[in-house]
Formats: sequence, C-alpha cells, structure tokens
Amino acid sequence: MNRFLKLVNFEINRASKLFASLLAIVAVSQFAGVVVRSKSYVSEASRVMREQSITQAEFLSSHGTISFSQIITSLWFLGPIALSAALLILYIFLIWYRDWFGKNTFIYRLLMLPTERINIFFAKATAIVLLVLGLIAFQLFLLPMQQTILESLVPAEFLGYSDYHHALNSFWFLSLIIPHSFDQFLLSYGVGIMAVFLLFTAILFERSFRWKGIVIGILFIIFAGLLLMAPFFAEDMLYPTELLLLEGVLLILITALSIVISRFLLNKKVTV
Amino acid sequence: MIEVKNISKKFGRKKVLDGLSFQANKGEITCLIGINGSGKTTTLKAIMALTPISEGQILIDESPISKSSYEKVTFIPDTITMLPNMTIKESMMFMRDFYTNWNADRASQLLSFFKLDENTRISELSKGNAAKINLLLGLSIDVDYVLMDEPFSGIDMFSREQIADVFNSHLIEDRGVIITTHEIGDIEHLIDKAVLLENGKVLKEFNTEEIRMQEGKSVVDVMREVFLR
Repeated sequence: MNRFLKLVNFEINRASKLFASLLAIVAVSQFAGVVVRSKSYVSEASRVMREQSITQAEFLSSHGTISFSQIITSLWFLGPIALSAALLILYIFLIWYRDWFGKNTFIYRLLMLPTERINIFFAKATAIVLLVLGLIAFQLFLLPMQQTILESLVPAEFLGYSDYHHALNSFWFLSLIIPHSFDQFLLSYGVGIMAVFLLFTAILFERSFRWKGIVIGILFIIFAGLLLMAPFFAEDMLYPTELLLLEGVLLILITALSIVISRFLLNKKVTV
Repeated sequence: MIEVKNISKKFGRKKVLDGLSFQANKGEITCLIGINGSGKTTTLKAIMALTPISEGQILIDESPISKSSYEKVTFIPDTITMLPNMTIKESMMFMRDFYTNWNADRASQLLSFFKLDENTRISELSKGNAAKINLLLGLSIDVDYVLMDEPFSGIDMFSREQIADVFNSHLIEDRGVIITTHEIGDIEHLIDKAVLLENGKVLKEFNTEEIRMQEGKSVVDVMREVFLR
C-alpha cells in the first residue's frame, strides 16, 4: 500500500468514532421519525373518524393522505442530516487544526513523513469525501427500509406517494445531496470537492501567515466564488450546455489552482 | 554533512535567526547551546523544513531538504508527537508503515532497555517516559543524522541517566547528531563540537576536544567566558 493510501486509512480511522456516532444518530432519529409520524397519523385518523363520525373518504378529502415526503421533511429526518452536514463542515477545519493544537503536536510527524507533503492534503480531502459518500450511501441504504416501515404501519388507502424516489425528487436540497443523474452527481460533488479544497487552502494560508493568512484565505475563497459565478452573468449569451461546460472547466481550474497553492504553502511556508 | 549557511528568520518584527551558520558532520555530536529564545529550536525546525527561513540555505549532504531527506535525517522534538490515544505499539507500527528504513529490532531493544510496556497509551506516559518514546521512535529509523531538541528538559534523574546511556551506546555511533540544550552537564563529555548561540547568532563555535587539549577549558568554562562577558 503506498503512503497516500496509508494516510487515507489513518485519517479514516481517526474519524471512525465520529462517523459511527453520526450513522447511529441518523438511523435512530429517522427510524423513530418514520414510526412516530406514521403512528400519530393513523391514530389521528382513527380519532377524527370516530369523534366526528366521518367516513374514511371524508377524512381523506379533508386531511389528505400521508406520504413519504412528509416524513422526509420532518425534523426527525432532516435534523440528523443537518447535524451531519454541520459536523462534517466543522471537521474540515478540525482535521487540520487538531494536528497543530491537539494534545500532542502530530503535525510534526505528518510533515516529516518521507512522502510529498501534498499527500497529507489529498489524504485529508479524500477522508472527508469518503465520509460524505459513506453517509450518503448509508442514507440510501436506509430509505427503502424506511419506506417499508411506513407502508407496514399505514393502511394502503391512507398512503399517498410512499416511494422514496418521488420524495427525494420533490425537494431540491435533497436532490443535491442525492442526485438523480450522473451529470448532477458530477456537478454537486465537483462543487463539494472544490469547496473542501478551497477551505483547506484557506486553512493553510492561515497556518502559514496567521492573521494575514486569514484575510488572504477569505479573499481567495471570494475570488474563486466570483470566478465560478462569472459565466452566469453572461447566461443570456450561452447555451445551457456551454454554460455547464464552462462551469466544469472553471471548477477544474479553481481546484487545480487550490492544489498548486496548497502544495507551495505546505512545502515552503507552513510553520509548526 | 549538514550545512547551515547564513540563515535568517523573522517572527513578525523579531529576528530569531540572524545570519546563522554552522556545519554538523556525520559521526560527530554537535551541540547548540544557548539560553531560551536564542534560536536553537527554530534552527532545528528550519533544518527539517518545519519553519521556513527568510534568507540563507540549508544543505543535507549537499542537497536541499526534500521528501527523501526524511529517511536520512530524523528530528526528535522536546514533546511527543504521536496521538494521545495511540499505544506505543501502534506508534511503532505507524513508523514502520511509513519509513522503509524503520528498524524494528532496534525499536524492540530500546523498548526493553527503557523497560516500557508496548500496550501503554501515549497519553498515560510520564514526561520522562514520553521523552524515551520520542527517542525510541527517532533512533529506530536508520538515518545518517539525528536532531534532538532538549532531550533532558524537565525529566527525572533516572530517565536522564537512561537517555544519557543511549548517547554512550552504539545507537549514536557513526551518525551525525545535532542536539540543543541549555543544560550541558549531562552530555558535556559526549559532545564533539559546541555552537554557542545568542539572539539567533553564533557567538562561538569550537571543537570541544581541541579546546580541552589546547586551552585546558571545559565547555562550561567557554560558555562562562562567552555568555558572561
């Protein structure tokens, strides 16, 4: 196994407890959400039909069916996703800063490894991407089971769209996380990976130039953001495919720039 | 040979290294001596490219430091650099995984010599034992040069004795060693060359044997002359 893969393995192991905790929180909260929401809907339906002496059809016309979309938009479901996203964003910073400010200064050890220092950068970025993909894969694994639970708890006549694919496509933010086409996957995750690289570069600016580095890092991120948005200012003059292509090229260029700067900072400027 | 040529380093407005130059040869122990803040640690970090220098040049066997240099030179800082939740065994496995010249036999010998249990967590080590593990991890790589930052600082008498024994052993022979200290007592008789630093400058550089033979002075005598002038 080459040193880069060893570093990735090492970083993944370091994040394993956090990752396992997130998986547990997601699973427990979402399954609880499916059960609680389904049961409360069924008991509400029974109570209303009994107390108001109305038929099932009347209840459905006034209250509607329950669908998987309603489950997906509940706090039970979105809460752990938001928590995971927030913790992973925090982890982008933690993955570097703990090596400088942790109890033992592990960055000494990392920077003195007989490998290109940029491999540390790539290993940390790969670990973040794998954690994200791992969480997404886990979510995709849970969805059919959650759908089955919903269908088993709610009588068919009270069920609206119970198919999770439909629910995912109904919400733009969920289709960003779980894209339904390969193009969208490339775009969503391309932007995500670029964002991780940009933040890593900003962190390395800070680790190289301290306060001045924070300013340089922020300016670098603003510059990259403006560059990425620039084609949208000429949107009227471009076909959608041209726009997509241009965005793809800019994405690659900004990511490459981020790598080149980070390599320079790690080799020549970073201070322990 | 490690050649430090006219290096300077500023932290903000403060110049911590100011045109510093010296050489350290293979097979010799070179000691950088100075009070706190004289630039000793910064010099070692600069050699390992852990702190960028503003001016000057550092060469290891006539080449600037690169990734392959880390299999030629090892740095033993004054604090342990392994993660607190790792055991000694895991720390050694980490080194074995990344260094092709990791010497597992030597690591085991040192572990026995220091009488440490490989299943102990790094976070559970006393300062003295942490210093020993630092030494073990650094000296178990088959390198030509070893840089040590204050290996005797703040540790108990028995640990100091054990570490001093390592200096007397075959583990140091044939390697070029650069050691920093402000407590010369433990190793005065071992060092070949002394470099006295103040405010990032070399005040005096001398061969300890020569000064002993020619002027009848110990390193401490010369330090008194230079620092208390």
